[in-house]
Amino acid sequence: MAFNYDQYLRLEKMPTLWCWGCGDGVILKAVIRAIETCGWKQDDVCVVSGIGCSGRFSSYVDFNTVHTTHGRTVAFATGIKLMHPDKHVICVAGDGDALAIGGNHTIHGCRRNIDIKLIVINNFIYGLTNSQTSPTTPQGMWTVSQKSGNIDPTFNACDLAIAAGASFVARETILDPKKLEKVLVKGFQHRGFAFFDVMSNCHINLGRKNKMQSAMENLEWIDSITTPLKKWEALSDEEKLNKFPTGILKHNENAREYCDMYEDVKAYHQGKRKAITQDDFAKKI
Amino acid sequence: MSIIKAPENTPVWVDEARCKACDICVSVCPAGVLAMRLEPTSTLGAMIEIVAAEACIGCNDCELNCPDFAIYVADKSEFKFAKLSDQAKERAEAIKKNKYMKLSA
Repeated sequence: MAFNYDQYLRLEKMPTLWCWGCGDGVILKAVIRAIETCGWKQDDVCVVSGIGCSGRFSSYVDFNTVHTTHGRTVAFATGIKLMHPDKHVICVAGDGDALAIGGNHTIHGCRRNIDIKLIVINNFIYGLTNSQTSPTTPQGMWTVSQKSGNIDPTFNACDLAIAAGASFVARETILDPKKLEKVLVKGFQHRGFAFFDVMSNCHINLGRKNKMQSAMENLEWIDSITTPLKKWEALSDEEKLNKFPTGILKHNENAREYCDMYEDVKAYHQGKRKAITQDDFAKKI
Repeated sequence: MSIIKAPENTPVWVDEARCKACDICVSVCPAGVLAMRLEPTSTLGAMIEIVAAEACIGCNDCELNCPDFAIYVADKSEFKFAKLSDQAKERAEAIKKNKYMKLSA
């Protein structure tokens, strides 16, 4: 028997509402396989998603799920994780959800280094609302809100997460689901904030006026703008501008996790230790 | 939607109720096992068909890349898969050039 996805799915909600060839389904499968590889029980996993095509993610998986307001996935997940430090919290957000309206929550989740796994499904467009410019839309592309061509400079989501202090940052594409699964497993097993920028396709809304009308044409374009990290490092500065490196970009196992630090606060209020001072931290400023 | 049961002694099988005819599995198959046929009742007017099950090499790419849980490949321990032949490669190329549609006999 092939891999049995059905035990992790809410079959009454299937088939998915996503368009034909949508990368969200590939990511959904990779997440399910990664959770199985980690050996987590279904009752120990909580999937939090916001609004957008990616928001449907939590409806289809048979874990503990929360479908929250737009952009607030990390805020809700922080609360869930602090109440249940032994459970595994996975956030799924789109590029609009995590980088535009929820950008503030994303950077503060990264800063706290709380043990949340944030999967950003980056399809370079606002897909659910029919092709408005998103923070990751490449310059010069047609969108409904900028019909003359997008002039807004684009976000590099991984650079943002690294700068904000996430301890695990990786970028992958849906072109190689096996590699995506491996990176997800590494991130899931890491204790701390794990940020995944997963590049996905939207041939319906991004592709329709940008000469990528089919799923394959869009995937070929994603292939042309990404390159593995080692090859990317060997490129000249000019070539680096037009390529995104893929793979694990940052992995810091020594950073202290927020729930561990919060144990000190609990201990103080239980009278088991003195108040927290600057001496408790290696970094003073 | 009902749970899929694995058929016996079959390398690759499809649930047509789940397939949305996106062509991705056909594009990733190296052995030309899969192709689309015309299907008036489907939304996109096409439906996946297994045209050469005996050529399947068990690489699992179609299953991993399918966004809709529609296609499954048997475990390597359960089924003895074929090796990738030149004929299979040529068929895969021909199907891709034929806009992922089934080749006419």
